[in-house]
Amino acid sequence: MLKRPIFIALIAMLLAVGVVSTPKAVSQTQRTLVGEWLVRSTPIDNEQFSRMGNSLGFPDRDMFFAENGDIRTGFVAREDVGVAVKPLGVWRQEGNRISATFQLWCPDSNFPCGTIVMRGEFVNDDRIRGTMAAFFDEEDATRPTGFDTWRFNFTANRLSSGGGQ
Amino acid sequence: MKHLKQRVVALSLVALCLLSLSETAWAGKKFNGVWRVTITIPTAPGSRETRTFTVELNATPREEDSLHGRMTIKDENNRTVSGVWRQEGKMVSIGYELPCTEGSPCASLVMRGKMKNGFTTIKKGDVIVMWDTPNDSNYALYDTSKGSFSAERLE
Repeated sequence: MLKRPIFIALIAMLLAVGVVSTPKAVSQTQRTLVGEWLVRSTPIDNEQFSRMGNSLGFPDRDMFFAENGDIRTGFVAREDVGVAVKPLGVWRQEGNRISATFQLWCPDSNFPCGTIVMRGEFVNDDRIRGTMAAFFDEEDATRPTGFDTWRFNFTANRLSSGGGQ
Repeated sequence: MKHLKQRVVALSLVALCLLSLSETAWAGKKFNGVWRVTITIPTAPGSRETRTFTVELNATPREEDSLHGRMTIKDENNRTVSGVWRQEGKMVSIGYELPCTEGSPCASLVMRGKMKNGFTTIKKGDVIVMWDTPNDSNYALYDTSKGSFSAERLE
């Protein structure tokens, strides 16, 4: 006689655990970089320039990431320079960790040429943080890669879930 | 003596024309097209052992006013990922994310090389490998390695 209430209580407990835990699990598996992000950068150890004097400053950047199967693309909307100015990039995601590579926009010698590599992780569904390394097109034998390098921190907040154009 | 001077002037003019023509032709050359690229990088962060692999790279033309172009990169296992390229004269820069596969750790690749032989080959290009493994003693805060690549235009 006593077995039935215990059995029912057990089922109810399992259902309750399922209801509570399911949204979190779904949320974690659905984390994606796809969307528009406002990226803010800050110096590391107050380094404003690379050893060779290159710098990107620390402006806010509007970055878009899109995905079509294994083809993962991105761009930076540089409307501060021009409507058509969209530095291009690609990205990769393994669980909570993200990686991206972007080319720098360098129409003339006033702009440093190079490539940016981002490494970061999700803090929550709509916030990521990490570091960026800029590998400039200028040789520097003191760096392990042989090229002038500059690093900085970034945090990014999601503005929308769309991939942009 | 007068004839010699005329010949020198004529030859100079011809040389100038040829130079100007070659500059015009050179200015029109673009990286976009299909390339077979052979890349040699360490097998893992800090490893002296290297691995060499070949990818087929299909670089689409840059959109109007853009300094950058996109590309697809197909590896020997027919896995295709995307990449980006930038060109400055004969120099080309390529960036792409190396897919994570068993036996080859994840990494970002930055490749720089100079196009030669009428923009059909790249020899001894540089590769910067930035691995996914954090390393506080590396300035970039992640393990990095150097590699090399060569490329041959197929189309």
